[in-house]
Amino acid sequence: MPKLALRRLQSVAVLAIVMLALSACGKDYPNSTFSHNTELNTLAVFLWDRMLLLGTIVFVVVEVLLVYTIFKFRRREGGPAPRQIHGNAALEITWTAIPALILVFLAVPTVRTIFETQRKAPDGAVQIEVIGHQWWWEFRYPQYGIVTANEVYLPIGKTANFSLRTRDVLHSFWIPQLGGKRDLIANRTNYLWFTPKSDLTSSAWNGACAEYCGASHANMRFRAFTVTPDEFEKWVAHQKTLAIGSPAAAAAAAAAADTGKGAKALPVKMAAMPGMPGMAGMHDMPGATAAAAPEAWVYPLERMKAYTLPTTPLPATPFDESLLAAGNAVAGRAIVTNLAKAPCLTCHNIKGETQYLTDDQAKGPNLTHVGSRHTFAAGLYRTDAKALALWIKNAPAMKPGSAMPTFGTGEYNAMLKMKVSAGGLDDRQIADVVAYLMSLK
Amino acid sequence: MMTVASAAATVAGAHEAPEHHHYTTTGLDNRKIAIWAFIGSECMLFASLISTYLIYKGRSVVGPLPHEVWTSPSGQVFQPILNIPVTSASTFVLLMSSLFMVLALEAVEMKGKPGYTGLRGSSKFWLLATAIAGAIFLGFQAYEFTSFVHEGLTIKTNLFGSSFFTLTGFHGTHVAVGVLWLMTLLFIDMKRGLGPKDALLVDICALYWHFVDVVWIAIFTLVYLIK
Amino acid sequence: MAHPGAPAHATGAAQTGEQTGLWIWLTTVDHKRIGILYLYTALFYLMVGGIEATIIRTQLAKPNLHVVSAEFYNQLFTMHGTTMVFLVIMPLSAAFFNYLIPLQIGARDVAFPRLNAFSYWVYALGGLFITLPIFFAVAPNGGWFGYAPLSGPTYSPGFNMDFWVLGLQILGISSLAAAFNFITTIINMRAPGMTLMRMPMFTWMSFVVQFLVILAFPVITAALFFLQVDRFFGTQFYEVAAGGDPLLWQHLFWVFGHPEVYILILPAFGLVSEVLPTHSRKPLFGYNVMAYSGIMIGFLGFGVWAHHMFSVGMGPVADSIFSVATMLIGLPTGVKIFNWIATMYGGSLRFPTSMKFAIGLIAMFTIGGISGVMHSSPPSDLQQTDTYFIVAHFHYVLYGGAMMGIFAGIYHYYPKMTGHFMSETLGTWQFWLNFIGLNLTFFPMHFSGMLGMPRRIYTYDAGQGWDLFNMMSTVGTYMLVLAGVIFAVNFFRSRKRGPLAGNDPWGAPTLEWSIPSPPPDYNFAEIPEVTSRYPMWDLKSPERTAGIEHSHADSATITDAHAVPMHEETERKTAAELGIPMPFNTVKPFCVALGLIVMMSGLIVLHAGKTPLALAIMLGGTAFMVGSLYAWLTSPLE
Repeated sequence: MPKLALRRLQSVAVLAIVMLALSACGKDYPNSTFSHNTELNTLAVFLWDRMLLLGTIVFVVVEVLLVYTIFKFRRREGGPAPRQIHGNAALEITWTAIPALILVFLAVPTVRTIFETQRKAPDGAVQIEVIGHQWWWEFRYPQYGIVTANEVYLPIGKTANFSLRTRDVLHSFWIPQLGGKRDLIANRTNYLWFTPKSDLTSSAWNGACAEYCGASHANMRFRAFTVTPDEFEKWVAHQKTLAIGSPAAAAAAAAAADTGKGAKALPVKMAAMPGMPGMAGMHDMPGATAAAAPEAWVYPLERMKAYTLPTTPLPATPFDESLLAAGNAVAGRAIVTNLAKAPCLTCHNIKGETQYLTDDQAKGPNLTHVGSRHTFAAGLYRTDAKALALWIKNAPAMKPGSAMPTFGTGEYNAMLKMKVSAGGLDDRQIADVVAYLMSLK
Repeated sequence: MMTVASAAATVAGAHEAPEHHHYTTTGLDNRKIAIWAFIGSECMLFASLISTYLIYKGRSVVGPLPHEVWTSPSGQVFQPILNIPVTSASTFVLLMSSLFMVLALEAVEMKGKPGYTGLRGSSKFWLLATAIAGAIFLGFQAYEFTSFVHEGLTIKTNLFGSSFFTLTGFHGTHVAVGVLWLMTLLFIDMKRGLGPKDALLVDICALYWHFVDVVWIAIFTLVYLIK
Repeated sequence: MAHPGAPAHATGAAQTGEQTGLWIWLTTVDHKRIGILYLYTALFYLMVGGIEATIIRTQLAKPNLHVVSAEFYNQLFTMHGTTMVFLVIMPLSAAFFNYLIPLQIGARDVAFPRLNAFSYWVYALGGLFITLPIFFAVAPNGGWFGYAPLSGPTYSPGFNMDFWVLGLQILGISSLAAAFNFITTIINMRAPGMTLMRMPMFTWMSFVVQFLVILAFPVITAALFFLQVDRFFGTQFYEVAAGGDPLLWQHLFWVFGHPEVYILILPAFGLVSEVLPTHSRKPLFGYNVMAYSGIMIGFLGFGVWAHHMFSVGMGPVADSIFSVATMLIGLPTGVKIFNWIATMYGGSLRFPTSMKFAIGLIAMFTIGGISGVMHSSPPSDLQQTDTYFIVAHFHYVLYGGAMMGIFAGIYHYYPKMTGHFMSETLGTWQFWLNFIGLNLTFFPMHFSGMLGMPRRIYTYDAGQGWDLFNMMSTVGTYMLVLAGVIFAVNFFRSRKRGPLAGNDPWGAPTLEWSIPSPPPDYNFAEIPEVTSRYPMWDLKSPERTAGIEHSHADSATITDAHAVPMHEETERKTAAELGIPMPFNTVKPFCVALGLIVMMSGLIVLHAGKTPLALAIMLGGTAFMVGSLYAWLTSPLE
């Protein structure tokens, strides 16, 4: 029995490992950490390869010795009694010294790499503030005055220097294809930098929170786009503006045309005072630029690979979808911007609308260009009218524990443990709000 | 929590061994070994508490602070809160108690021997003196805690308050357990008298008492004296 | 928990004739009975933790599945980790500490029998305290590591984490009390001639573990106390707004948490070091080095905690120090592996189920050990940490290592505990299902982790390249469940039906095999004088131990007039007949434990806002505890 069983074990184990290895190489793995897209990850993969090699050697030696011993020395009836050996100092020193030697080959490059990757980021890096929230990501570009959420753009060939903070509990910032993770720790700022290699093509990557942070930890995802410097410039220019197509922008553009003010004046001003419109802007922003703004550019949807587009199933929240086509953006705007009708702006900022909050006070994502983002709710859903409508109607049903309240009349509000009655939004109003949000390109 | 339970465990150990003497490997009583293991463990507990205090030193967002003047946003001025002269006095009392403890143990071990008469041979007196010194120390601590609360520092006020009260509170609890232990020994002494054969009972209590003392010296130095 | 049907032999009831059934188990102070209580209780919790794991894996079988809600999943993975670490592996080790240490060193009981009963009852009741909430969906949900500030009152305002904080405090008391007891037992209760360097390797590894417990647990006690007062009394230790530092918790937790890993694995190493020589008919290769490497592992184990924290940004110097220290700890561990193989090499190997599991440990732990060294390199670890690669790593260590070793121990010592063998046929099935299931479950996790799958996620999206690996893991888990069922059948069936085993069914070298199976309540009618590391081989096949130095029973080394030369005991008399004083059974330790739990429960009521009731419960519990303690302390042991 033992002999047969051990043979079986061996073949099963070998087969399983070979199959796994084959399947791991044969397919495309969109979140693989074994990539050379940044210098940071090249260093990590170098160490990994060395450890895998050394580890495999140790593994093979141990298992071969073990299996050999098991077969060679199994008990034979009437065989001689084994020699009683109590130890062998030379042997024991040998098998302490050899692993120690192996470790030297690991320790030296490890320490070198630690110091290399934890230097200060090179000058001229793109500064990106990453702020973790339960459960979504805020990205700020202080050099450009941009505040956005859940989608981060990185120019190829230029170092991105992330400063990482959290608004609440601990999170961990991780884009497997671009480099290792770094935690976001309350009362501390952490740093992480890497450079998307210049031979990269413009691509989209998945990112995720890697530190357990509560109910929707699994739902705290984001997208990273490594884009050409040209594309990055276009994206930045667009992000600085008010949203194209939004009634606010359209009205502002009309007003600007009337008064003859230069349409391009504002972006510069906005850039000069990042995050400042906050409490100062208790009235509508005067003038705007949007209509004449530079060509709106985001990473084109058709170039997004399937794995970067979420397929999270939508909940069974009832909604009259026929209303969506007839949604009225102007009516929607009237709801969103009127605190008496809906409390949207007590958590969210929309550049160009009345702002009640500084960026640091805003508990929800900045919605200025929400319509042009490919995903929302921390990368959990595609930005389309239906998903947005269901989200507004009952967000916690789509992302457990979400701080976004339940607005749909008649929906069950899990946080307050009661049904939403008066003061909620009906399906038509929600369709209007969706039309407005979708117009925020 | 650990303090109460493990102190209880120690006391339990104190009466665990049977009356007649079993063979032991080292020749020492089991209880003696156990109290040393317990003290080793307690070292790690106080090391954690003291480290926490030191890590949080200077990191409180609001005052009052141990060694610095602090002005609140509303303009109220808080003086440095630690009262070193008073605490020096209580430290002295606690150190003296260790001396009394040594004399108490000696009196029990040497009971009936020549020269151990009168005060020197009175284990009851020295046990009582040790317990009273411990109680006085606790009194000082109670005074210190109340005056801190009056000056605006509670366990909830800031990081300093939380870590200070927890650290010194843990130590105070240990002293209190020690006083109870001493009173128990005194009670036994009054009831049937403690003699050389009971030396171990007093010995393990003394080990604990000295340990609690040594911990206080560390706390006094690191918390009070070093600014 | 206290199974009245557990091997209850007439021995324990010898002097307390009127006590039977449940009452005996409630009042016993016999280390063997307490060991068996630990074993049954831990196996019960193993079932609970296993069911939790099965639900977790079912949820993750496919992308976007919703078998359970996010909230309940988070409770499940928190409790799976907490249960397996504190309620299963540690107590299973404790079962062996209790049962074996006195037998292996030639003692009649542990140093403090009633304290031992207290430890068990605190564990059993504390286990219920922390386990019951999951049946009401209010179980702890902050992860077994309870990182602040998520575990604090601001972000976990519910009762969930209250149960965790208090439960771990309670379990810590149990572990500490047990550790003081075993340290004293091992230092002070060894039979004449049983020097430290003659102790069986299991006792050696247990000895190291007890020191780890007494030095590591106070640290988590302090950390938990801070969290406890933060949660119940509004202190500021981990409050972000007050400037609290989340890294304080992490450092304190891992200063405890890393030695805890060795607390979990070293007993299994010890068990395997008993099984391998026995079934190889050869002594343990390099006994001294095995003992020293255990000490070394324990010592270094306190210097590597921050390798759990490479992603928190400690700076390059700290990262480098902890990295190199972590690599170093691989050395004594590697030595153990090679020495075990060398023990078998040149032997005459027999493969009962226990030997299969022991070899399984060597084969599987090696994988966990190698992936462990891989984490020691921070730049690479930043891609591994908090992914399924880590989950794979520590399950190879704790399932492939600790559990395999414990199963080896159960199959090896079952005949000693019950007098009957377990079925080899069922055992072989269980082993292979375990072995294949374990690899099928955990090997693919290396891949899903390195291919970007984070840990502790209740669901994942389709098309991420993880589907196949997750499905394999889930299928593997079901195999492990099947293996568990076979084990349970084998375990319970064999108690009466298994073939009879004599004193020494395996031809083992150590003292515990010189007495009847199951042993009488006094263990040794006469304490033998030990003259070498292999007393039973000295007795039964002296030619095998002829080559080593012996002390002589008739020399001056005889330290106890009562000691007699090494012999086998076959007659079974009662303690009274032999005139051996035995400790009285007593319910008092149970009462103290119960009072302690009631006292702690009061805090939960306090959180509910019912202050008078809470005070009543806490004071009542305290009064009951102190009263029982007083009664305990003032009543004689025997």
